[in-house]
Amino acid sequence: MMKRLLETGNAAITEGAILAGCKVFAGYPITPATEIAENMSRKLPKVGGYYLQGEDECAGMHMCIGASLGGLKAMTASSGPGFILMADPYGWAIGSEIPLVVVNAQRVGPVSGITGAPGQGEFYMSRYPTQGGNYETIVLAPNGVQEAMNITVEAFYWSERFRTPVTILADQLVTDGWETLCIPETEEEMAQMGLKVIPRKMHPGPEFYPATDEIDIPPVVLGHNTGAACSDWTPTAEGYDTEEVEWQHKHAWRLIYKIRNNRHLFTKYETYFTDDNPDLVLVSYGSPSRVVKSAVKEARAQGLKVGGIRLITLWPFPEEVFDISSKYLTVELNYDGQLVREVQRAVPKGSEVHFFGKCGELPGVGELNGVMKDILAGKKITGNKWEWEAW
Amino acid sequence: MASRVDALATKYLRPRKIPSTACGGCGLGQVHKQVIKAVDELGLGLDDIVWGTGIGCAGRQTFNTWKGDNFAGTHGRAYVIATGLKLALPPDKKIILTVGDGDAFSIGLAHLMNCARRNVGMTVIVLDNLGYMSTGGQYGVSTPKGIKTDSSPYGMYEPNWLQKGAGLMGMLREAGATFLARHTSIQGPVVVESVKKALLNNGFSLVQVIYPCVTNFSGVAFGSRDPLVAYRWLKEHTVGMHDETTKETCFRTGIYHDASNTRIEYSELQRGVVSDIQRREYQ
Repeated sequence: MMKRLLETGNAAITEGAILAGCKVFAGYPITPATEIAENMSRKLPKVGGYYLQGEDECAGMHMCIGASLGGLKAMTASSGPGFILMADPYGWAIGSEIPLVVVNAQRVGPVSGITGAPGQGEFYMSRYPTQGGNYETIVLAPNGVQEAMNITVEAFYWSERFRTPVTILADQLVTDGWETLCIPETEEEMAQMGLKVIPRKMHPGPEFYPATDEIDIPPVVLGHNTGAACSDWTPTAEGYDTEEVEWQHKHAWRLIYKIRNNRHLFTKYETYFTDDNPDLVLVSYGSPSRVVKSAVKEARAQGLKVGGIRLITLWPFPEEVFDISSKYLTVELNYDGQLVREVQRAVPKGSEVHFFGKCGELPGVGELNGVMKDILAGKKITGNKWEWEAW
Repeated sequence: MASRVDALATKYLRPRKIPSTACGGCGLGQVHKQVIKAVDELGLGLDDIVWGTGIGCAGRQTFNTWKGDNFAGTHGRAYVIATGLKLALPPDKKIILTVGDGDAFSIGLAHLMNCARRNVGMTVIVLDNLGYMSTGGQYGVSTPKGIKTDSSPYGMYEPNWLQKGAGLMGMLREAGATFLARHTSIQGPVVVESVKKALLNNGFSLVQVIYPCVTNFSGVAFGSRDPLVAYRWLKEHTVGMHDETTKETCFRTGIYHDASNTRIEYSELQRGVVSDIQRREYQ
């Protein structure tokens, strides 16, 4: 019988990780992701897993990498100020194709900013979590408690199949917010909810890093004398470090195209009121998308021809969904405008793209209603002087 | 002698990586050989060890030389990678890390200290070439006082970890390390014995082996890239840990701390705690 609880997003992420077979959590306490660490420290030992507290987030994620290299599924969780310290291990995990799940509960920045309030300042950082380029990333963004659990299970699933760290880009309202959470207790219930779990496999060698865009290649697992070699250097197919640009090209091509060429497998978004060529489409992800949906419904009730796109997969950016010739408005929890830049790039040529930013709090339905009316009337939106109209 | 080394290389090392691309006369090869000898004398096989490395000459020249399983971590992080890895490995596997002085004692020091505190089962071999040598020769945390490098053109004036009063080994000991030794690369058989002891400790072991980089260190500090000049200097400055000396720069060698197998190893501790919790849970 499925368990039905009132829980936080942090608890949901923990449940998702346990369901997915996570056996190691290593991290460092940080608001608003601390409860993930706390919950993991309580729950993991009961399922034979290990909780480690690193001396910092960089150590935490490296411990996860080590555990994953030893064959255990691992997860870490943090917020902006800790996420930035993971730049180092991110690069290694991406380059060496190590499956891993990383949660970022975004808060208000820059730097330590405000701890207990939602922000969306790491939209681009989650795409480029490390230096050097030459890679693609998978980033998923839940907008509620139940979805946080489901996406965590999915994140583990895709991390195994793609051999890469998968980032869950949540925000403080998702992780701290309380909602109903249904937790499956049997495999049938898992299947009913569409949740898939894949066990860890082990690459037998010797071609650990084939130059293809194929997925479902087992990851490198150390300690079984397969002759595995896994490094931060550009690898040959066998994992030898090399300075040859030909190998760098092959490696980069794989890191980019294994994800780009197979992204249809995991790309998800939600569209509503978009079938009748709306005059304005609102774009959002994470907790603001909840308000945006209410605002669009309300506007429709008032007879405004508006629709909405809610992104669940953030990276690779699902640009194919922006095929409606219409005006666009992105609503996000930062004042500098991040998602809006990507939307500008993806929309049909000549489309107007507007931006409405807030941070630390959600916009109100009424507020958004006013903004929509202004845009539809061709007026500049100047409500709180934080809008940006670069179209 | 040569044939025995070749036999060891054939048994344990990958032909594609040996000989390494280290400079002729580099102490790194001496230490690498000493470690392999220790492994062989303990009767350990390819299956028993996962070999990790760091960044710099020490990391690059030893990475993937081991015929078994290998990893090379990001700079200064091999210790925390090994912490996670040790938990996931079958308990009887050993982890050897060959890293440089910058990796262990500078960028990775916080991780190293915490691994000592946790007593994570690993044998850290610090191939100490007295500074940042793979980047051309800049001073590091073990560069002796007065030594000129490309970033200390007026002589090293910053205090270092090896000077009198600076207790690097003492710090690691206080943190909880269970085997600690310092040698210079010219003390061949002694290094082999120390590494054997380190490997037999089911806990955190560190063996620091010092040699001056014959190219970038010696080239600037001594005005000569002749290995004989470098090793003569090393010999003059190698002093037993209890010997009397008036030399300001000296490498005090010996076993600093041997509390082998007196503290529970970290992954063993974790496994024990987890199985207790599971037993209570399902009683």
